[in-house]
Formats: sequence, C-alpha cells, structure tokens
Amino acid sequence: MIEAAPPISTKEKITARDVDIYYGAFHAIKSANLKMAENSVTALIGPSGCGKSTFLRSLNRMHDLTPGARVTGEILLDGTNIYGADADPVVIRHRIGMVFQRPNPFPKTIFENVVYGPKIHGETNQTKLHELCERSLKQAALWEEVKDRLDRSALDLSGGQQQRLCIARVLAVNPEVILMDEPASALDPIATSKIEDLIGELKSQYTVVIVTHSMQQAARISDTTAFFHLGEIVEVGTTNQIFTNPREKRTEDYITGRFG
Amino acid sequence: MAIVATTQPTSTSLIGSSPGVRARKLADQVATVVLWLMASSIILLLALFIVYMFYLGARYLTPSFIFGMPAETSAGGGVGPEIYNSFYILILTLIFTVPISTAAGVYLQEYARPGRFRELVVFSAESLATIPSIVMGLFGLLVFVYLFKWKFTALGGALTLTLLNLPALMRVTQEALKSVPDTYREASMGMGATRWQTVVNVVLPSAIGRMTTGIVLIAGRIFGETAALIFTAGLSVSTNAPYDLNPFHTAETLAVHLWYTHTESIVPDVDRIGNGSALVLLIMVLVFNVVARVGGRALSKRLTGRPT
Repeated sequence: MIEAAPPISTKEKITARDVDIYYGAFHAIKSANLKMAENSVTALIGPSGCGKSTFLRSLNRMHDLTPGARVTGEILLDGTNIYGADADPVVIRHRIGMVFQRPNPFPKTIFENVVYGPKIHGETNQTKLHELCERSLKQAALWEEVKDRLDRSALDLSGGQQQRLCIARVLAVNPEVILMDEPASALDPIATSKIEDLIGELKSQYTVVIVTHSMQQAARISDTTAFFHLGEIVEVGTTNQIFTNPREKRTEDYITGRFG
Repeated sequence: MAIVATTQPTSTSLIGSSPGVRARKLADQVATVVLWLMASSIILLLALFIVYMFYLGARYLTPSFIFGMPAETSAGGGVGPEIYNSFYILILTLIFTVPISTAAGVYLQEYARPGRFRELVVFSAESLATIPSIVMGLFGLLVFVYLFKWKFTALGGALTLTLLNLPALMRVTQEALKSVPDTYREASMGMGATRWQTVVNVVLPSAIGRMTTGIVLIAGRIFGETAALIFTAGLSVSTNAPYDLNPFHTAETLAVHLWYTHTESIVPDVDRIGNGSALVLLIMVLVFNVVARVGGRALSKRLTGRPT
C-alpha cells in the first residue's frame, strides 16, 4: 500500500518547457513540459525506448557530448534557461550532478574518486579534501565500509558499493540537483534497497530526478511521477495519484502491466 | 507454444556415444592440441633464438668489448660508444615523438569532430607511415645534413627517426584512448569538468598502460633501425666518445655498427664484433622492455590505485 505522500515543496527547481530532442532525424522527445519541485524526488517512468533517459540527460546538457543530438525548447534552473546563449555547461553540470546506470568509478583510489569533483573545481587544501571525502561518503552511507581502505582502488568494491561511491562523488561537488539514470538497475536487491533508502535521505537537501524501469521503485521513493511513452510525457501527477488513480488510459495500461 | 520436435534425440541417455557426437568431440580435442602447439611454438622460437644468440656471442661479452672504443683497422675493438649512442638517440627520439604523437592522438580521439582537418591529419599520418626508412634516411640527409649543414649528427638521426615513428605512436595513443570507456568521460564531464581536465585527469591516466606498451614496441624498432641512421647520424663515433652529450656530434648506433662491420669494415674480427653486438642489442631491447613495463606499471598503479 502506498502511504500518503508528505507535503511537497512547491518551489520549482527545474522546469522543462516545450522541449524537443532529436538524434539526427529521429525525434526522440516531443514537446515535453515538466516541473520538478525543489527537495522532492521526481520519477520518470515508462517502457524501454520511451525517451525517459534521453529527457533526463537533457537536464544537465549531457547531449552536448553526443554528436548529432539536438535539443530545442527551454530548461529553466531556478528560472534561468540552461540552454541560453551565455549558459556554460561546465557551470550547469557543477550545479546539476548525474549518477549513471552502470556504476562508473574512475580507475583511481576511493579517496581520489570522491575528491575528483572538488579538485577539478579548484580545491587544493588536503585537510578540506579529506573532510569532504568523509562527509560525502557518510552521506552516501558508504563510510563505515571503506574508511580503512580509502587508498585502495575503487574498482575493487562491489557493484553496490561502487554505485554509492559514484553518489558520494557527485555529492562532493555539492550540487543542487542530482539526476539518476536507473541507478539501481545493475544491482542486487540488497544494494538496491540501500540506494533507495539513500535517495529518501538525499531529498531533504537536494532535488532528485530519477529514471527507473521499476514501478515499485518509483512508488516507493518518489513524490511526483511522470509517465513517458513514445517520446511524449503522457501524464504527470503525484506518485500516489499516478499509481492509484491514473487519468490516462495508457498510464493505467502501463502500471497494471498490460504493456511494457 | 507448441514445439515441433524433429531434431530432438530419441534416446534419453546422457552418454555421448553416437558417432556424430564422438567425431565432434575428437575434432574439438585435436583443435585444442593444435592451437596449443602453435601458441607454444612462439615461446619455443623466442627461446631458441635467445639461446642461439648467447651461444654465438656470449664468449665475446668482455668488459673491454662492452665499454671499449671501436677499432678502425685492427682486431679487438669494442662497442662502448655505440651502446651509449643507441640509448642517446632513443631518448632524443622519444623526447620528440612522445609529446607530438600523444598530442595528435588526443586531438584525433578526444577533440576532433569528423571533417576535413581530421581527415587530413589521418591521411598525412598514414602517408608518413608508408615511407620506407631508407627513403626517410635520404630525406634526413638532404634536410639535416645538407640544407641545415649539420653534417652527421645525433640530432639529425633522432629527428629522422621521429618522422619515421610518429605515425605509429600516434596510432598507439589513439587506440589506447579508444579503449578507455566512455563512462569515465561522462562521469567526469557530468561533474562539470572541462574536456581538457577530463583528458588529463581521467583519460590519459587510464590509457598509460597501453601507451607504455606502444612506446616499448617503438623503442625496439628504434634500437634496431639502420637505414634511416646511416645517412643522418653517421658511421663513426664522436671524437668525444664514449659519452658525448652534444646532439650536434656524429653518433653511430650499435645496429648501424653491426651493419657497418659486416659490409664496409676491414677489421679482421668481424664475426666477434657482429655476434657480440647482436647479443648486446638483444639484451638492450629485453632490458629496456622490462624496465619500461615495470616503470609503466608503477606509474599506472600510482595514477589508478592498482596495476593494470
């Protein structure tokens, strides 16, 4: 049973307005409109290939790195268009961090992974870096497991630990928004539940947008849910409403497992 | 769903005793043995080669041969300056080749978008790679010896070798960078790193192992190169030999000396110098190989937290 969602902040952190995304001639996202509230978890759900990951990646301009990808429309971060003429992707990605589907720690030590972001943003004070490392790992609920081996390679960690390390790495740059692209899909159930608990704690300080293929996961962790199908946002609502009383036939068909 | 079972075995036995199964198993076993033999033959060939070289040359490896000066007409000459020159020219060449080829490889793999300029760089590198070393040597003769009026110099030789090895090392860099997963780049740039920061802090350190391997292979070629050096670095050692640091002095390498004694020289102990030099050259390549790999692994461990 889904518990009644706590009251959500209504301040819009990110707003997508009439966003279209193309890969070459392929029209992947068709005039998407979505408001993502501050200090809340927004889940993007939908069948494979519906464009939910494509949409997520437009929120911190990751498509800039894909040759042939094109984004039109506006994405506002605190009211400023991140696709505006003078918007700098480097600054945007500093404020909007991303956790990927497969854990992708660098082939460096655990410590070097966590402090990578602060270092590239100019922090050189070793004491500060160590403090940041400890704080971020504690936030990501990984500190107790790795505190004695910070100088070991991150690649020696388990998949679930690696993914929490990647979350710690993003937290260390102190972003305002964290985008997560199916962060638990490559993990076992225990690791998954750790990540889900973590997301629940993160929303007190961050705005989280998460893509998931698991409807149970969306129902457990999110406040707002947007249902994507064939490149369109079919329905947006509180998670409770989407899962108990969907307005659209396609949403209902999807969440009741009639397609997907 | 209905299964149309026409190929299912009629027997329920799990023992593969039918002729068809036995034949396939036999073919598999034969293949295993043959492939193993082929793979082992590589080890055997190398071992035979090394043993034979030691058999021919080991008795000549005396201190007076390894450290002594070469003789022009009499027996008993050494190869001290030649060994030194081989390393000197190798290091000079790498000083020029590694930065240029790394930069070009990084540009092609990390920065360049498909287009005219990128195609031109690739085309130029491929054209350079197909030029025979003797032609490159003649080019070096015209440019460094005649045009620049340097005469035969270590620097001219090293620059000629740079031209010769640049394309290969650029290719090696490119392949090494290509092997770095895109997820590293995404993670780095997703945190607000610039492309340059990503290349320097993540991509190059991850590729250092493969790049070391490439440099070792190129070094082996440089140690063994003769044609490109005969007309550029010369056939004699400097008057300041054995250990001359001046890049504008002539510098005959060991491989060139080996060729020279066998074709032009009038010393009576050609076999001694030939077999001894060949063995020294072999040992140099092997030692450089081991040292570079150990060094590369240590560097890789420092940069990535564990050996690759």
